[in-house]
Amino acid sequence: MLKLEHVVKRGGAGRVFYLPSGFFRSEILLSLFLWAVVGLFILYPLFFLLLESFKIAETGRLGFQNYVDFFKDKYYLKTFANTLLLGLLVLATTTLLGLPLAYILARYRIRGKTVFIALTLLPIVLPAYAGAFAFIVFFGKWGTVNLLLMEWGIINAPLNFIYGLHGLVFIQSLHLLPFMVLSLLAGFTNIDPSLEEAAEVEGASSLRRFFTITLPLCTPSYLAGAVLVFLWPFTDWLTPLLLGQIDFLPSIAYINIAYHFTDVYRKYMGIVSVVVSGIICVGLFLTLRRWVERKKYTSLSKGTVLEGRTINPHLLGRIFAYVYLGFVAALVLIIPVVLGLSAFSRRWVFEPFPTYWTLENFRVIFWETPQLLKNSFRFSSIALLFGVVFGLAAAYLLARTRALGRNALDFVSTLLLVLPGIAIGVSYLMAFWKTIPIATHWIIMPLALFVRRTPYFLRMAHASYLQLDPSLEEASEVSGAGKLRTFFAISLPLLLKGIFVGVIMFFIMAFQEISTAVFLYRGGWETLPIGIYLNWHRGMEFGIAAAMAFFMVVLVFVLLLIAARIGGGILNVAWGAGGRRE
Amino acid sequence: MGFIEIHDLFKKYGKVVAVDHVWLEIERGEILTLLGPSGCGKTTTLRCIAGLERPDGGDVVIDGVPMFSQGFVPPSKRGIGMVFQNYAVWPHMRVFDNVAYGLKIARIPKGEIRRRVEETLELVGLKGLEHRYPTQLSGGQQQRVALARALARSPKVLLLDEPLSNLDAKLREKMRFEIKELVKRMGITTVYVTHDQAEAMVISDRVAIMNLGKIVQVAPPNEIYHRPATKFVADFIGVTNFIVGTLVELDRTRNIARMETNFGTLICRVVAPEAVSVGNKATAFIRPEDIVILNAHGGEENVFKGTITHRVYLGNILYFFVELGGASLRVQSLPVAPYAEGDSVFLYLAPQKCMIVQE
Repeated sequence: MLKLEHVVKRGGAGRVFYLPSGFFRSEILLSLFLWAVVGLFILYPLFFLLLESFKIAETGRLGFQNYVDFFKDKYYLKTFANTLLLGLLVLATTTLLGLPLAYILARYRIRGKTVFIALTLLPIVLPAYAGAFAFIVFFGKWGTVNLLLMEWGIINAPLNFIYGLHGLVFIQSLHLLPFMVLSLLAGFTNIDPSLEEAAEVEGASSLRRFFTITLPLCTPSYLAGAVLVFLWPFTDWLTPLLLGQIDFLPSIAYINIAYHFTDVYRKYMGIVSVVVSGIICVGLFLTLRRWVERKKYTSLSKGTVLEGRTINPHLLGRIFAYVYLGFVAALVLIIPVVLGLSAFSRRWVFEPFPTYWTLENFRVIFWETPQLLKNSFRFSSIALLFGVVFGLAAAYLLARTRALGRNALDFVSTLLLVLPGIAIGVSYLMAFWKTIPIATHWIIMPLALFVRRTPYFLRMAHASYLQLDPSLEEASEVSGAGKLRTFFAISLPLLLKGIFVGVIMFFIMAFQEISTAVFLYRGGWETLPIGIYLNWHRGMEFGIAAAMAFFMVVLVFVLLLIAARIGGGILNVAWGAGGRRE
Repeated sequence: MGFIEIHDLFKKYGKVVAVDHVWLEIERGEILTLLGPSGCGKTTTLRCIAGLERPDGGDVVIDGVPMFSQGFVPPSKRGIGMVFQNYAVWPHMRVFDNVAYGLKIARIPKGEIRRRVEETLELVGLKGLEHRYPTQLSGGQQQRVALARALARSPKVLLLDEPLSNLDAKLREKMRFEIKELVKRMGITTVYVTHDQAEAMVISDRVAIMNLGKIVQVAPPNEIYHRPATKFVADFIGVTNFIVGTLVELDRTRNIARMETNFGTLICRVVAPEAVSVGNKATAFIRPEDIVILNAHGGEENVFKGTITHRVYLGNILYFFVELGGASLRVQSLPVAPYAEGDSVFLYLAPQKCMIVQE
């Protein structure tokens, strides 16, 4: 029998005897490694960018002059206001469209729900520019819709569907709708059914219940999605450009920096625009996150929470649901269909549908200039390799240790999620130019992709880790296995599913990245997204750009199917990608 | 006629039958407990009374009004109060608003609402916490908010779905008495669902034992304990010894039987004479506290020799496990009983306490 004296004696020496020696050392080493990477590839360039924004061009000293100039200049103020307005409009549109959509998907028991969910969420993995291209072809001045309407004699001159603020709102809203729907969906399904039942018993009608119980309980989830939606116009420089608009913060920043680098004033205004966008994104996100965390209701509920409440809608509700879901699905489906039509045709101009079919576009991208494809696969794969090593190590540190600075690590990785890609691109361009000259080597491309996309992977790996019962690992250690062996023999196999989904999502997101890459590429380093942009926007080679985009959409779709298969449903996968944080 | 009547209630989920043709009457002002293991259909029955589930057959009649057969009466129109297993206290509303919710819907004047909320909160011992949010309350306090909310409208019927299962043991014990006292004082007809037999014993006027979707026995707590209708009830309530043997003689006038067991002939009472017959296997049960340990054998009936295999000390009582012809019987005795493991003893199984029940 264990006697009390033994326990006292062993603990009496005053040392920590319950941890194997070396435990702390390996933890510290790991933490140091991770922080070295974070320091060099995240903190240093961002700090450099911040410093640069304070540099006064004439004297080379530091000061607030650039910011003063920026906020005094009427043009930049207008740009700032435009971006805010766009954010609000997109937020309003996605909210109005998303609320009924999410409610139907969360609560209605109807056939074909999985298909509709998949279709609704598709834009989350499609690059924004793919959607923009498709809608320009479809709704543009001489696009399919206008030509058809004129052919049928309904209108005489083409209507302006998309060139302007309204088009921008429409295209961005459709791109962001999945984020909104996902957040609301999580909100609706996470409400403990008994909370609504209690209201029912207390005599509340269904309408009253929705407004007094369901909607308020949904608010934290809604806001988590809303902030992503609202901030998007501070990030997306390309969609406005494609629609002929430049008076938005990220767009003007891109133009100033990419085209007018020699004009010192415009360069600094560009840098300040980037920093201002970045600060707004990060600041708003953090404020809201704190608020949401304080308000988090789900933590209160105890006992077993089944899947959320579901209802069998009556006939009218069912009809409305199908019409509405069909409408959204059709809008989403325009993207791959139109890209496909353009990709397999040539000379599709002034006709509602193409008439000349060819595989010529694919011959060009596969055989004539395969370099772009090769680059995309190579850069994404290398970035993935970096990402997996860093992400797994970081997830382990976050989930399983009490190492110093792990909260800060979590914080930095969260920051990266909301930081505009343009900020990373510009900061890399400047920081790795002279002082640490990596930007002259192609490795800068995968490095940038790695930094930009690893937070997604890290979050998924972390989430899987949190679901893994620590006692499974402890049992391995008690049986005599070391930390490393336990990781490879126990943790990794059990985490594999989550990691696999994370790997696929990482690849998808890295493959279509353009915001950062567009600042860093040099001749010979072009990736597929850059090829799409150059062919479309500068070269007017619509067919080739469409073929590239179509190839990307197909690739993404196949990868997504695989991920959904492994991850147990499209929703689980999308939740990982869509920024749900538990 | 009962205040709540359940007529031939039937409910299935897919192929699983949750409630299997249940009949039950609950008197006005009575506290009735639905007791049974998890998955026995007790919660589904309760939810049918509330109207949160729609049965596939049968009806629930509350105060003479059918709830299903003549048009569905929604939960909001049934005038019931309900306490959920996880409290279901709305986290985005203050305590006051939680309790006032139903009163506001009933369009009761503001001053009256204030008065009644305060009254109810005082009743459940939450006075002064009106302006707290539920997250700032302990589990027990949240439980009381749920109770206050259910009581504030002075409902005709109070439904409680395992309301104490998320509380710690001490608090659970205390709340049992509080709930019983409160409900009795207000005279509300109450249906209480639990899987905890001690809770059911303390709180109920009558207990309805459920198993596999059916009601097995409805009776006051003492009758459930002392005269269980089936083996399931005997086993589910309290600690029981089962003795298996063959029935050799049955006196149907006095309901006394003689049973041949591994350790000798046992004389028992028969609770369900129609369910047993001579020559067949039968099961008798006896509670540990009804077995008496004797030092010596005077030749009486139902005394058998055995060996003590284990001695378990529980503070206020002492359990002996006695081996008896291959069977092991649990015997309860006072802590001062002077026996040790390995001792040979005689056990007296009083014939009137030894009962043959329906399988």
